[in-house]
Amino acid sequence: MLEARFETPLANCEAATGTYVSLREIGERGMIDLRGSAGDKKFLAAAKAVLEVDLPKQPRTSATWGDIRVFWLSPDQWLITCPRARAQDLSEALSAELAGVHSLAVNVSDMRAIIRLEGEGVREVVMKGTSIDLTHGDYPPGSVRRMRFAEIAALLHVVEDNVIDIYVFRSYAHYAWEFLRKAARKGSEVRVFPKAV
Amino acid sequence: MIVVTCPVCGIKGDETDFHYGGQAHVRRPATTDPVNITDEEQRDYLFIRHNPKGLHFERWRCDRGCGKWFHAARDTVTLDFKAFYGITELPPVELQQQAKGPWADYFQSRAKAR
Ligand SMILES: [Zn+2]
Repeated sequence: MLEARFETPLANCEAATGTYVSLREIGERGMIDLRGSAGDKKFLAAAKAVLEVDLPKQPRTSATWGDIRVFWLSPDQWLITCPRARAQDLSEALSAELAGVHSLAVNVSDMRAIIRLEGEGVREVVMKGTSIDLTHGDYPPGSVRRMRFAEIAALLHVVEDNVIDIYVFRSYAHYAWEFLRKAARKGSEVRVFPKAV
Repeated sequence: MIVVTCPVCGIKGDETDFHYGGQAHVRRPATTDPVNITDEEQRDYLFIRHNPKGLHFERWRCDRGCGKWFHAARDTVTLDFKAFYGITELPPVELQQQAKGPWADYFQSRAKAR
């Protein structure tokens, strides 16, 4: 009998060598899609009771508490990331706490792939696939937004000045990986933004 | 290039990050008076749109960002956006006053209804 085995979306991708920023898959994060109204006090209180952190209400921001991160996606949607092993328990705890409140908490850990870019020049590499000006002061560490990246839907998380996570839907993982591998190839530095930040 | 700013999440991007959603403020007559709706009213609701040279009001969606719909006032000659405002809102008063033709009539009728 064959046994089902969990594999991350990019488990079989070609390693990124010869790039001027490092690329790797983050496979150990779980994700929970949380929906509800930012204007509903009961909803906010229930989310905080489980996550121990207030949901961020400012557009394009995130909040961190221990190993939990909450991304603002829209006035009624947040993406929670946590260690993969905790995602199911956490989403069930949210659903239980939110009983009776118009809301939704779903474990979507297998929905997206996360690619981490690290090193001087990450902003430039990402800008090769999007119209966003990441050299602008609008994108300090902690910034989160969805965007059109290399013609596909993606989520951008500026972790640190020179560390960026790109979230893409699982079926696009290989495409995004290959795009980034080529966009980051040594010798393809644009150098238009020598000090990107 | 048209540069759009979403009034909900504040992101600024070119047209490809957004989605144009047709003319703004189209009201479905059957919502308020389903019994007495005429064929003409229903025709106008479905098919008849303004095509002004100059100030126009449109619906847009923050397609690749927060996903929300919003309104925009745009000059169809210069492609300049004059304002971005909420999907349940009317444009800023000064723009309502600048509006011409069918848009001027529309904003006057909305003001009277209030
Ligand atoms: Zn938006």
